[in-house]
Amino acid sequence: MELVERLTPSMRRVARMFVSSDAVADECVQETWLGVLQGINGYEGRASLRTWIFRILVNVAKTRGQREARSVPFAALAGDDLDEPALDATAFDATGHWSTLPTDWRGIPDERVTSRETLAVIGRAIDALPPMQAEVIRLRDVLGWTSDEVRNALDLTDTNQRVLLHRARAKVRAAIEEHLRSVSA
Amino acid sequence: MSQQVVCREVLELITGYLEGDLPADTRAAVEEHLSRCDGCTMMLAQFRRTIELTGMLTEEQVSAAQRATLLDAFRDWATA
Repeated sequence: MELVERLTPSMRRVARMFVSSDAVADECVQETWLGVLQGINGYEGRASLRTWIFRILVNVAKTRGQREARSVPFAALAGDDLDEPALDATAFDATGHWSTLPTDWRGIPDERVTSRETLAVIGRAIDALPPMQAEVIRLRDVLGWTSDEVRNALDLTDTNQRVLLHRARAKVRAAIEEHLRSVSA
Repeated sequence: MSQQVVCREVLELITGYLEGDLPADTRAAVEEHLSRCDGCTMMLAQFRRTIELTGMLTEEQVSAAQRATLLDAFRDWATA
């Protein structure tokens, strides 16, 4: 039950990427747990258990999405900004060097950087990301999964996993910077 | 002639660098750049701090409400 409790919120969000409603996503999660219970003897331990469970989930949810005639293009989940730079062009001069140097967060008191407000800013920044970017950063940086686990669980290529993570971290970093600037002013 | 990178490129390579999956010559170019660029060193530190801070979030802060709903649903299903 502990595993169910731990994985279920992420599973629900992942399923929701592929199907049309929260209710259908919940059904996918339940179908997955049923599949896990029935198939656990077939689990060979090649992937981590949570990766194996997510692979089942992604299959279930994609199949459900297809049955709903809801085929979601990758770009809609990943965000259409993957090719854009992580900072806007004004951060750099014409030769590609910093036009204004990034701020030094080490000069800001630790209790201000690690405050509840900062964490809330991060939470909201993650919620505002395109779904796949949000899920990659949650699994990697909130829950501490490895890149291999996330790539396998979400059926991503190495490159896609890295690009999604980079975009997500860059936007969260920008949100933190804006927040720290406003509280330090 | 070794590879050269500018700040704008280093920024896009930071996650690959932190993941340890850059090709050796690119990694060397990034490290060489970092050794003489305060701005990029600062940005790398900001990314590291961002990862640390994100790691301080709990799943509860991310999705408290969703969790409750789904657990109820699962309990109903498990006991059905």
